[in-house]
Amino acid sequence: MMKRQLPLLLLVFCLFSRGALIASTDEAEKRLKTAVNQVTEIAAHAPDRNALAAGVKPTLQNILSFETMTRRAVGPGWRQFTPEQQKEAVGLFTTLIIRTYTAKFTPGELPSVTFKAASSPAPGRVEIPTTSSYKGSHYDVVYRLDESDDWRITDVVIEGVSMIANYRTQFDAEFKQGGAEAVIKALNRSLATSK
Amino acid sequence: MKNTKLELSVGVFVLLGLAALAYLTIKLGTGSMVSGNSYLIESRFANAGGIHPGCSVLLSGVSVGRVESVRMDPSDYSAIATLRLTSILHLPTDSMASVKTSGLIGDKYIALSPGADSTFIQPGARITMTESAVDLESLIGKMAFGSIDKDKETKEKKSLPSP
Repeated sequence: MMKRQLPLLLLVFCLFSRGALIASTDEAEKRLKTAVNQVTEIAAHAPDRNALAAGVKPTLQNILSFETMTRRAVGPGWRQFTPEQQKEAVGLFTTLIIRTYTAKFTPGELPSVTFKAASSPAPGRVEIPTTSSYKGSHYDVVYRLDESDDWRITDVVIEGVSMIANYRTQFDAEFKQGGAEAVIKALNRSLATSK
Repeated sequence: MKNTKLELSVGVFVLLGLAALAYLTIKLGTGSMVSGNSYLIESRFANAGGIHPGCSVLLSGVSVGRVESVRMDPSDYSAIATLRLTSILHLPTDSMASVKTSGLIGDKYIALSPGADSTFIQPGARITMTESAVDLESLIGKMAFGSIDKDKETKEKKSLPSP
C-alpha cells in the first residue's frame, strides 16, 4: 500500500518544492521591483544630490541588508570586532554605500532597469539579473537577495564585479595590518574623501 | 653476454624513467596531486571561461587545491566547477570564489575569500557567492566603441534642426 503511494508522495513533494521556489523568487523580485520604482521616483524629483541621498536612505535601508553586507565585506576579521565596533562599522559602511551610489546619479536623469529571469542558486537565496541603462550606457547588474534577511539585498554584482568581494579585499588588508580599528579608520577616511 | 645484460638493464632503467615522467605529467596536468587528505566542494559561476580541470585554487595567494572538473548545469546554463581542497581548510559558509587571471593575459585560477559566518561549508556543498570571469574584451569594446544607444543619441541630436 505504502509502496504504491510513494511515487505519488514524491510527486506532491516535488510540486510543493517547485511551488515554494517559484513563490520565493516571486517575492524577492516583487520587493526589488518596488524598491527600484521608489528610488526612481525619488530621483526624478530630487533637486540635488544631498536631497537624493536623504530621500533614498529609508528605501535603501528597507531593501539592502547593511548589517549582512558589512559583515561579509569585512570577512573573517568580523568575529574579532567588539559589538560597539560592529555597530560603528555598520553605520559607517551604510553611509559610505548610500553616498557612493547616489553620487553616480544626476538628479533628473532617470535610469531604466530591465529585469531578467530570476534564479535560486541555493535554498533561501535568489539572484535577479538586470540590465540598467543610464545616460546611454548599459550595465549588467545582478542583485543577490537572502531569505534570512527578509529578502533584502546582500550583494550587488556590476559587470561581473561583486561589491562585497571588492570591499572584502580592501577591508581584509586593513584588518591584517591593524585590526578592527584600522578598518574603522579606513571607513572614516573613505567617508571624508567622498564628501 | 656481459654487454647484453648491461644493455638490458639500461633499457629497463630508461623505460622506468619514461613511465615515471608520464605518470607525473598526467597527475600534475589533471591536478590530482593535492597533498594529503582532501575534500570536494562545488562552485557555481555565470561564466567560468578559461577554467579547466587542473587550474589552481588559491587563498591569500597560497595554493589550497585544484579544479577537479567543470560542467554545465542544464537547468540554468550556469557553470559548475568542482574543487578539490586540502582538508585542513575550513571555509565559512559566506565565502566567495572568484575567477581571476594571473596578470593581464595569464592563466586563469580560482581565488577563494573566506567570509565571516561561524558555520562552515561541508564537503559536497556549493559556493553560490561567486564572481565570474570578467570579460575584458567586452569591457574594452564598451570603452573603445561606446554603446549603441550613445551613437543613436548622437545621431538623433545631429539630425535635430538648429533653432
